[in-house]
Amino acid sequence: MKADVLIIGAGSAGLAAAVRAARAGARTILLERHGFAGGMGTASLVHTFCGLYLQDAETPQWSNPGTLAEEIGRRMELATGLGAVKSGRVWFLPQHPVEFAALADSMLREAGVEVLFHSELVALEPGWRARVACRGEGIDIEARAVVDASGDAVAASALGMGHMMSDSRSLQRPAYVCGVQGVAGEIDGLALAGWIIDGIRAGDLGTAATGMHFRASGRAGEVFATLDLAGMETGDYDPTDPRCLAALEATGREVAMAVVACLKRSAPGWEGAFISHWPARAGVRESRRWIGQALLTGEDVMAGRRFDDEVAVASWPLELRETHRGPRLRYPVGPAGIPRGALIAAGVDGLFMAGRCLSCDHEAQASIRVMGTCFATGDAAGKMAAASAG
Amino acid sequence: MERSCTAEEVVEMLREEGLVDLPAGVDGDADLFAAGMDSMAVMQLIVIIEERWGVRLGAADATREVLGTPASLAARICEGK
Repeated sequence: MKADVLIIGAGSAGLAAAVRAARAGARTILLERHGFAGGMGTASLVHTFCGLYLQDAETPQWSNPGTLAEEIGRRMELATGLGAVKSGRVWFLPQHPVEFAALADSMLREAGVEVLFHSELVALEPGWRARVACRGEGIDIEARAVVDASGDAVAASALGMGHMMSDSRSLQRPAYVCGVQGVAGEIDGLALAGWIIDGIRAGDLGTAATGMHFRASGRAGEVFATLDLAGMETGDYDPTDPRCLAALEATGREVAMAVVACLKRSAPGWEGAFISHWPARAGVRESRRWIGQALLTGEDVMAGRRFDDEVAVASWPLELRETHRGPRLRYPVGPAGIPRGALIAAGVDGLFMAGRCLSCDHEAQASIRVMGTCFATGDAAGKMAAASAG
Repeated sequence: MERSCTAEEVVEMLREEGLVDLPAGVDGDADLFAAGMDSMAVMQLIVIIEERWGVRLGAADATREVLGTPASLAARICEGK
């Protein structure tokens, strides 16, 4: 197969990159390991778009107006009928993974992107030649430019290039989200926390259950249960080690099953509750990061630093989740620019990156990893890749 | 483990444990939920209160009236079980 632009990963960044590159006239191939686009927002059931809006504003204001971040936000509002919600100093948009997967299909089809689902990158050579595998069968793709929107910098790994990875102990902890149905009435998070504590005291639940919280999905009787995990079930947390990931997935299911069984017994309105769907995968927040021509730092984000060559804006606080005991938020003084060079690989031509694996440090990644910002960096990387291929 | 507890001690504990982002000079009537305390932080808080003061809060205490401010928390801790 031949393309102008090959995009690796159809998560929030890869989706935006593919749509933007194709709209710019580039023949675009989008590679995705699942059977749908959306990444964390579909496969991992993360049901809020964060980073779409400016912090501290009285009304929701797009932080990347005119980009696919705004377009996807608006289309999701139409799909769910739900608008932006303010929580403390920030705004976020509730989103539904079912709507997101269908919306992504429409956008990719409208833009004319060639989508390869159920496929993984297995080898990559500068120039560019990629080998992709689908069910044991290899496919060779030639492309003029590549965008790594894999979330795990898989192209850096395939090329044997250097990359950054935080120490296992400081990596942001993963989240396990599942769907629950049959819940009657409103969700009272505080009361549910009390019932979980009682379940732990009674010996019905382990202390891992304290990482669980709930949010109504916007659909009748449906709730998303989110569990922050330590990721240390089999030793050090490593989001690129399949043994670690296997333990993570099994632990997520085990804890969720126990918590929902406990709430069925104790919490009013939960008598008929059941887990209706598991995620395709646990939600990894941080993994490998690229080394780019520029490096966005946590100090840059906190200071609201702007760059002459910025290509997107980061507007979410540093959301640190280095433990599974809930987030610690650090609020920047204002929105920060993401410089062009943070999306361009160093030491190789025609390779761009977007989403959570772009070139930044651990602290900056705690802000730029959110889906709203990933749409914006994806949009920018798609534009640059299409221009470099043209 | 101590049974008596003041709002100042609760503020100190919240800072040490990093459960909520409290501004400087916060007093006993500060709204902890407005400061970012969520249901997960509440579970941590209940566990920490038992460790520090030996007071076991349960489902009946999981309300804004009990957990909403450092002063209301201190009052509940002093009350004991």
